[in-house]
Amino acid sequence: MDEEEHLHRFGTPLPALQKDVVPAKKPVAIEDQIVRDENGKRRFHGAFTGGFSAGFWNTVGSQEGWTPQTFKSSRGERASSKAQLKPEDFMDQEDLGEFGIAPQGIRTRDEFANEDEQQQRSGQRRRKLMQPELGVGAIPGLPVLEQLLRPVRDKVAVRILKSMGWKPGQGVGPRQTRKEKRQATARNSKEQYLLEHYGAEGLPSHKETKGDEDSNTEDEDDEDITFAPDDYEPIFYTPKENRFGMSYSGLNRDPILSKSSSSSAKPMQHINLFGEMEAQANKKQLSIRGQAFGVGAFEEEDEDIYARDDMTRYDFSLADKKPKQKKQQHVQQRHVIDGFSEENSAAVLQKPYAIDLPRDFQPRNWLQRRSRFAPMDKERAKKLETASEYKRSGLGRHDLNPDQRAQLLGEQKKEEKTAEEQPKRNPFKDSGKSLLERINARTEGFTKGGVITENGEEQQTELAKEVKEANAAIQEKAALKTKDLPSAMNSSGFKPFLADEAKQLRYEKFVSSKLTDDKEVTEFLARMQPVTLSLWDREMEKKEFIQAAKIYRPLVGLMNDRFVSEANVQAEKVKEQEMPPEERKIVMERTKTMWKPTALLCKRYNIAEPFGGAMLEPEKELKAKAKISVFDYLETSVNTKANFETPSIFPKHIEKLTPKEVEKPPSPPPAPPPEAEIQDKPNAKEEPSKPTFVPKTALEQAVDESRNKPISEKVELFKSIFEDSDEEETEPSEEDKLAILQESFGLPVTSTTSAAAQNVLRNTSPPRGIFASLFSPKKKDTDKEPASSKFAPIEGNKLKIAYKPLSERLRNDRELAMAEVAPEDIYGPKLPTAPPQKPAPPEIQAETNIDARLKQLWQQHAPKKRKAEKWVEKKCISDSEDSDASSSDASSSSESSAGKDKRSKLSKPTKSHKSSSSKKSKKSKLKYKKKSKKSEKSKHKAKKKKSKH
Amino acid sequence: MPEFENFNVKTTIDCKQGAVRAVRYNVDGTYCLSCGSDKKIKLWNPASGLLLKTYGGHADEVTDAAGSCDSSYIVSASLDKSIIYWDVSTGAPVRRLRSHAGGVRCVCFNEDSSIAISGGRDNAVMCWDIRTRRLDPVQVMKEARDCITTVATNENRIYAASLDGCVRTYDIRVGELTCDKVGEPITYLAQTLDEQCLVAGCQDSVVRLLDCETGGLLSEYRGHRGDDYHIECGILSNDAHIVTGSSDGDAFVYDLLEGKVLQRIRISDNGGVVHSLATHPKRQEMLFARRRDMYVFSTDLQIEEEQL
Repeated sequence: MDEEEHLHRFGTPLPALQKDVVPAKKPVAIEDQIVRDENGKRRFHGAFTGGFSAGFWNTVGSQEGWTPQTFKSSRGERASSKAQLKPEDFMDQEDLGEFGIAPQGIRTRDEFANEDEQQQRSGQRRRKLMQPELGVGAIPGLPVLEQLLRPVRDKVAVRILKSMGWKPGQGVGPRQTRKEKRQATARNSKEQYLLEHYGAEGLPSHKETKGDEDSNTEDEDDEDITFAPDDYEPIFYTPKENRFGMSYSGLNRDPILSKSSSSSAKPMQHINLFGEMEAQANKKQLSIRGQAFGVGAFEEEDEDIYARDDMTRYDFSLADKKPKQKKQQHVQQRHVIDGFSEENSAAVLQKPYAIDLPRDFQPRNWLQRRSRFAPMDKERAKKLETASEYKRSGLGRHDLNPDQRAQLLGEQKKEEKTAEEQPKRNPFKDSGKSLLERINARTEGFTKGGVITENGEEQQTELAKEVKEANAAIQEKAALKTKDLPSAMNSSGFKPFLADEAKQLRYEKFVSSKLTDDKEVTEFLARMQPVTLSLWDREMEKKEFIQAAKIYRPLVGLMNDRFVSEANVQAEKVKEQEMPPEERKIVMERTKTMWKPTALLCKRYNIAEPFGGAMLEPEKELKAKAKISVFDYLETSVNTKANFETPSIFPKHIEKLTPKEVEKPPSPPPAPPPEAEIQDKPNAKEEPSKPTFVPKTALEQAVDESRNKPISEKVELFKSIFEDSDEEETEPSEEDKLAILQESFGLPVTSTTSAAAQNVLRNTSPPRGIFASLFSPKKKDTDKEPASSKFAPIEGNKLKIAYKPLSERLRNDRELAMAEVAPEDIYGPKLPTAPPQKPAPPEIQAETNIDARLKQLWQQHAPKKRKAEKWVEKKCISDSEDSDASSSDASSSSESSAGKDKRSKLSKPTKSHKSSSSKKSKKSKLKYKKKSKKSEKSKHKAKKKKSKH
Repeated sequence: MPEFENFNVKTTIDCKQGAVRAVRYNVDGTYCLSCGSDKKIKLWNPASGLLLKTYGGHADEVTDAAGSCDSSYIVSASLDKSIIYWDVSTGAPVRRLRSHAGGVRCVCFNEDSSIAISGGRDNAVMCWDIRTRRLDPVQVMKEARDCITTVATNENRIYAASLDGCVRTYDIRVGELTCDKVGEPITYLAQTLDEQCLVAGCQDSVVRLLDCETGGLLSEYRGHRGDDYHIECGILSNDAHIVTGSSDGDAFVYDLLEGKVLQRIRISDNGGVVHSLATHPKRQEMLFARRRDMYVFSTDLQIEEEQL
């Protein structure tokens, strides 16, 4: 027991072992000891258990699993891009706790820790110097603000001291031995005592020193040990400046809060928080500052003599300078532009003193640059003049003034007159007018209106009128002057051949002659040029002159093209004005055209549409034009083809046949005249078809009228021609009825057949080329009857007209080839005389005849042609055929062939359907093509040729 | 032949909208419109000079305006190439019609205000359907060779005067365009009330009276000065007097038959072109525009009292 009492215990005792419990054999190994947080979660993980826990039970994600981040943004809560994740977002809660890696509790930092506490802790006394004096400021007691607001850091001085080894609580100065220190403290204490008794300022008591003294007594010998000097308050003695009693200070005159309040002797007084503001306030209200009362803002401040004692205040003289100066300035500034002031240190003009000049002194400005162009001094000039007079007496033109020269040259003196008159009438020299008026007068020439008065109204002043008149007069004169100018300039124009006088003379003559024709020029020059000049030289000279005349055209000439003289313009204007308006007699012209108001416009105007809205719309026509029309193409292609196509081969075979076609009734009477014409044609190589043509039916007239119309307008015509015939050809019975109906309504006949029907139509067309020859025997039988039935109802007019446009086109083109095609033209107009209804029997006869002939021909020539195999123009072929087939003389020219051709053509239309074997006739093909309207020309041609082979 | 009474100035209104480009009466003459170069249209009571409403929305100077037959809408033309259809009471633009390729010079309504007709510097006359919301013109007439200066219409015709010196009459009933060539640029066109004649103000300082039927020149009125200004003319409600502005600050009243100057109205002593005018549809009253001001002239000084 006794022992136990003497024992010292360290640590906490283990709990007493209980008898029942058997201690575990193995203590828990360190690695098994797991740190857990308050939730029982494991705190450390991973390598050496130093890692952090992550996510949900050391997994990524949460209890619910891993959820991707969602983006949300609403008007209230904008999804900010700032979504920067802080590290805290990834930390567990315990990390944020007090002991975590990112504790979130709020603690004051050291810098802001309570100083008192620190002092207490460290036992150090706060330096008195840094403490504010009590009761010094206006508000007694500790300054509240300073208590509330503490500096974050030590002041610079303190920091410097600290860096030098000073510690808070120590005094400043070299280290002292014990003895020294004791003496110092003694001295200090004495001073303190004195202060206490005599000094007004209450300094901290000397208690501390007393305490120190106790320790001082202990060891005296140790001199090696040095001590920091005691911290004591040095006494600052302030010299007494006033005659007040000791330690009496009068009322502080400075404003309480002013910065300057601190009488510098006193250490660290009151922290002046408002110093800055004050200063600003003072700046603003300078005039009010320091005034007691009764001084308004606008009154001048009384001079506060006593506020600051400065020698400058006493440095003044009784004679006031300022007012004087002001006055002076005022006077001076009259002559000075605003914003400028006169130079103070104006150089006083030195008074010039009279100098005795040498008698022969001639003043001369030495600063002036003397050049050789400067006028010579008189004497010298005179001398020179006299010296050189003999030289100039001969060629004195340089001495003459322009007038004299003009006299010599015999020029007109008009200009002088005007020049003299001008100044007389010069309005600007009128003395009575004010400056403004003069300016107005000047501008009169430029602005149209009169003078604008103050209220902005225009007024024609007398002056303005006067000026106008004067200007007009001047301008007229100027115009007169300039009239003569060009000629004068011409004579004195540039002289390119000055070197050779004779040449120059010649040149001048050449220029004045104004010849343009090359021949004339050569003749003209030849007269002047010396005989010695070689031909080559002459040619060169001519070229030179022409070139020179071009290049060295007088400036006036050049400019005349580009400019119009103002005088001319003015004159024209005057003329225009003078022209009485009655002269332009108004003659009313009225033109009327069709105009289609839109349906809506009519509706809004409550008017029925004119013609029931059936008027043609101009816009639509335009549109149609823009589109590619089949007819347009047809026509152009025909034209181009006509350029190189020659009449077909046939005419001679058909010559003997009497054409029996319905469309072109080849009745004997009409046939001869065309032949005669044809014979004329080749000679003249022109178509005399025009005189022969006399339109007999309405359609013909239409065609005739449409001759000169553009293609687009002809389209209607084409349509009426082609579509009619098509329909009627295919389905005569039904179509006829429709057509009749339509015609009765006066409507253009439109194709009502379906596409399929048209296809059928196309297919029914007679075989061509190889097929033609293949099926020729059959066709004869089969085609005859349908053909007759088909063509019987066809109106001859229309089919005839089908040729018309082609012929016109050809004629228009005026190509050589046309002559060959011409026969068709002739037939167009002639045929209509024949009645459209033709007896069928002759037709059939003719056809059979033709077919037979053709066959024969074919058999004869087929082999030949194959050998030749030329893609040449048909003409040669036709010639050969002619010679073969014709029983007449071999010299039958192309004329006759053409005539025959024509006849053959007449017979063709029917043939084209009936006898496809006769495919050689180009005409028939053309016609056929037109009827079908579908295939292109080129194709046809190719086919034709094939068929020939 | 009604007696002629001299016109006297009744009201002078400073429109305060820059230069006044046009002045127009509404259908019954109780209100008037002034088109300003400040892109605004102002609605006035001409009798009192009271400003009733200002319509702003154009992007350039307003050149012409017209009120609908029920006075509830206004259509206005502007150099911004557009035509605006305004609601009178709200002052809001109901429709803005753009199709002109140049500034629009003139605009008018047809009789029941279902069609607005405009003419512009693009030489086109356009008819706009006001009843529907269609924004493209119902019909465009581009026959003119120069700027259209005036469009006018009556029950079945549309008249368009152009600077190419022609008055084109589009007869809707007949479906025919009649072009009467005067030969002088026509700056303004007015119809007589009986719709038999047209009063055409020409650039050569002559006002011409044209016969609608034959296209003949019935009479010429000289005295005023045109000076290349777009000077308007008009015919008074009694169909007996023709009035025209002048470039020297006057207005002239001519006798329709004799062609005499009945009165030379001195509008201002300070000059200024009297370029726009409007005649009251019923009374002997006129509006003139000169510079910034609008002048109301009337033969009767007691009109106001009568009205009261």
